[in-house]
Amino acid sequence: MGRIADLIRVGPISGFRLRTKLLLLALTTLVLPWAGCQYAREMETVLRESEQQSLLAVTSTIAGSLKGKQGLLFRDDSLEVSGNHARDITPVVLSGAPLLDGRADEWDTDSRNLIRVPGPGGDSLQLMAATHERWLYLALLVRDNKMVFDASTLAPLDSAAMGDRIWLAFDDKRGGQSQLFFSSTGPGKLVARRIETREYGREEAVEEPRIEALWQRSRDGYVLELGIPLTLVGQHLGVLIDDRDRRGATRSSYGTLEVADLQATGRLIAASPDLNEHLRQFAQPGVELTVASASGAILTRIDAPALPGDYTRMRGFLPRMYRLFLDGDVIPRSVSQAERQRAAEGLIARVAKGKPETALFAGRYENSVIVAAAAPIYSGDGKNIFGVIQLAQTADRWLTLRDRALTRLLNLTLFVTLFAVVAAFWFAGRMTLRISRLGAASETALGREGNLSRVLPEAEARDELGDLSRSFSSLLGRLDEYTGYLRTLAGKLAHEIRTPLTIIRSSLENLESEGGDSANARVYISRAREGSERLGAILTAMGAATRVEEAIAHSDRQRLDLAALVREAAGAYGGAFPTRRFAAQVPEESVEINGAPELIVQMLDKLVDNAVDFSADGATISIVLRIDDRHVELSVANPGPPLPPETGSRLFESLWQSRAESDKRPHFGLGLYIVRLIAEFHGGTARAENLPDNSGAVFTVRLDR
Amino acid sequence: MKKTIAIVEDERAIRDNYAAAFSREGYAVRGYPNRREAMAAFAARLPDLAVIDISLEDEPEGGFELCRELRGLSPELPIIFLTARDSELDAVSGLRLGADDFLTKDLSLAHLIARVNALFRRVDALRRPAEEKQVIRRGALTLDSERMSVEWNGQVVLLSLTEFWIVYALTKHPGHVKNRQQLMDAANVVLDDNTITSHIKRIRRKFQVVDEKFDAVHTVYGMGYRWVE
Repeated sequence: MGRIADLIRVGPISGFRLRTKLLLLALTTLVLPWAGCQYAREMETVLRESEQQSLLAVTSTIAGSLKGKQGLLFRDDSLEVSGNHARDITPVVLSGAPLLDGRADEWDTDSRNLIRVPGPGGDSLQLMAATHERWLYLALLVRDNKMVFDASTLAPLDSAAMGDRIWLAFDDKRGGQSQLFFSSTGPGKLVARRIETREYGREEAVEEPRIEALWQRSRDGYVLELGIPLTLVGQHLGVLIDDRDRRGATRSSYGTLEVADLQATGRLIAASPDLNEHLRQFAQPGVELTVASASGAILTRIDAPALPGDYTRMRGFLPRMYRLFLDGDVIPRSVSQAERQRAAEGLIARVAKGKPETALFAGRYENSVIVAAAAPIYSGDGKNIFGVIQLAQTADRWLTLRDRALTRLLNLTLFVTLFAVVAAFWFAGRMTLRISRLGAASETALGREGNLSRVLPEAEARDELGDLSRSFSSLLGRLDEYTGYLRTLAGKLAHEIRTPLTIIRSSLENLESEGGDSANARVYISRAREGSERLGAILTAMGAATRVEEAIAHSDRQRLDLAALVREAAGAYGGAFPTRRFAAQVPEESVEINGAPELIVQMLDKLVDNAVDFSADGATISIVLRIDDRHVELSVANPGPPLPPETGSRLFESLWQSRAESDKRPHFGLGLYIVRLIAEFHGGTARAENLPDNSGAVFTVRLDR
Repeated sequence: MKKTIAIVEDERAIRDNYAAAFSREGYAVRGYPNRREAMAAFAARLPDLAVIDISLEDEPEGGFELCRELRGLSPELPIIFLTARDSELDAVSGLRLGADDFLTKDLSLAHLIARVNALFRRVDALRRPAEEKQVIRRGALTLDSERMSVEWNGQVVLLSLTEFWIVYALTKHPGHVKNRQQLMDAANVVLDDNTITSHIKRIRRKFQVVDEKFDAVHTVYGMGYRWVE
């Protein structure tokens, strides 16, 4: 509780200097950049959401344009596209015909369109499909630990000649079935063959020249690339691998065909050749358009033309720093290709269930963000979903906008903060300076009694410091009046008491002269006289300062030889104080100063008086006169008790005394005050110190030469 | 015939005490509490000597005024200021108005009576021709101890009684240092250092009025003063 009360009374940062406090206060302007960040985030969110909404609206529009137009989407509009079979092949529409060169790297297919079939013994098949114009291209990436070519010398149907073979089967538009096989005696181009049964059950391998194919070894097996005119192919298509570990050995088959009768059950879900034409009218700069089948396989993708203008994100140290505070939670950091893929698949899979949606993906490059919107394409009756359309664009535009706005804002607030800190520092410095100047002035004003300077700094200022200065001034003024009153009080009192004292004394003297016959009476009279004399001595002592002040007022200065004066006076003290010894140390040459000799002697008297009072019988009091180019120093040192600490210059104030016990002589603490008065009359100063070994005190008067 | 002393003092107890003391010495004493009554009486008949306080009832400076008026009536009448005020300025003003002495009330009755007697003696001496044996000559200085008059180079130096006694004490044994106590004893006064100093200063100044080069009173710092021929 106490701490809380303290906190309320003095504030939470009371321990600091004013300057630090104001500096801390100025640092609160750092809230501005924080608020700026919040604002920028808000702005970014709004921008992003509106971007997403508008993208979603466009997507829905395109989806609407495709509604019920299954024929526009698919090559074969009678195809039953609902459902999902593992053997379905969905070729991607390529913008250029792939080269049949045994390398599949130019096939820009999505993993969703990839078909993987595991084979025996770690073997596997990856099937990629694509269309370009009127051709269907297939790439079979076969992993085979032991690839076996056909024997070149034997007929292809000779079972002893058989190595690894690939079957391709499809139905045609009239419902017929075609089954073709590819066998190669070495890498390179090859032809497809079909087996035709002639009369007497003789089987013959007939070449099918309309199909192009190329067989190539790969790192872990072989690749077969082939192209078929789409006109040959109906609704179903599949492939099968006959894997043999050696020529003529028993095959182990795997693939998308039925192994038993080579029936193609997997559908060929190919995009309509008109689809791209239709979609191209919706193409916008920077927007990528993707159409997928309901199963999620990509049918076609129209890449975005480059965006006009420079929307690259700002570089440099500060923008980077700012982004550190901003990015992260909203924008996914750079992620792996697989993660990106999963996110994209997830979106289409979700939308295929019927609800349009937008999403943010991490882009291909660091800090790039892709915003995507997807909408389902419904059949004519609106009951079935047969495809999904997705629009994606990089979010760089609004990120860049945000970054620019934010960078500008943050730069501005940083500048404002800097300015506020500098201003606060300047203001605090000035304030501190003013306050400390006032403090120092009042301190000195208080320090010099009888000389209170009433004009303090800041008295002209119109703010609170000015008020403070003025109240200080009036306070000091009152203090001055008060000390002045105290100073003259002794003199006034002495004067007022003198009259009644005179009455007592003259009465006593008369009594002594006339009536004091009895012995007792004489004793009493003499006691009364003694008392009145002491009272008289007290009065004289009380008036001493006033008389010195008067004497000073009537003194004239003259050239005098201080050395001779001190030597002479020091010689006389031996007679005046027989119980002390005096050691004078005075320069040989004459020390001329401008002064009043009587006053200087009186000053020396007071110093010696003081030294005698505070030293024991037999002590040696040393009187030293030192000179340098500009000053003369006269000091009187005595062995004895050291000065009480913290008395300092107060010793030289009127009515100050620090005597431990009182003796018979009256003391009013005026001796050293008189020293000071005389020193100041001569434009000098008086000071008191302890001897270096604390064995006594030394009083020094410093005068200008 | 008894000599008459007038005491002008507004403090009745003091006035009566002084009166008693003077009466004991065989003087006739008349006391007045203020300037008005004093002047009325003086106009009728002058006393032989006047002891005056400076502040009188409602007039803080009434004594000075009275002294001036009294001096107007008689240039020779001895006048003593006896006051509680001991400022240098008051002393200077009082003496300038032609008072023979300026004393503070610290002074004992015995000392006061000694002064009064001395002043009467001087008045008597002035009426007689100067006697050579009373005269001390020290170079340019001629000092008549009976008449309490001092001449420097044949010119009269007007000193108050206290000042005269100080000069007398100094010149009696030229070259000897007289310390403050000795000077006070000689002048029948109890004075503090500053008052002695101002007396010496006044003495020097008065001699310097007749001789700018006057330098016979030397200060011996820490000890006192001496007369140098």
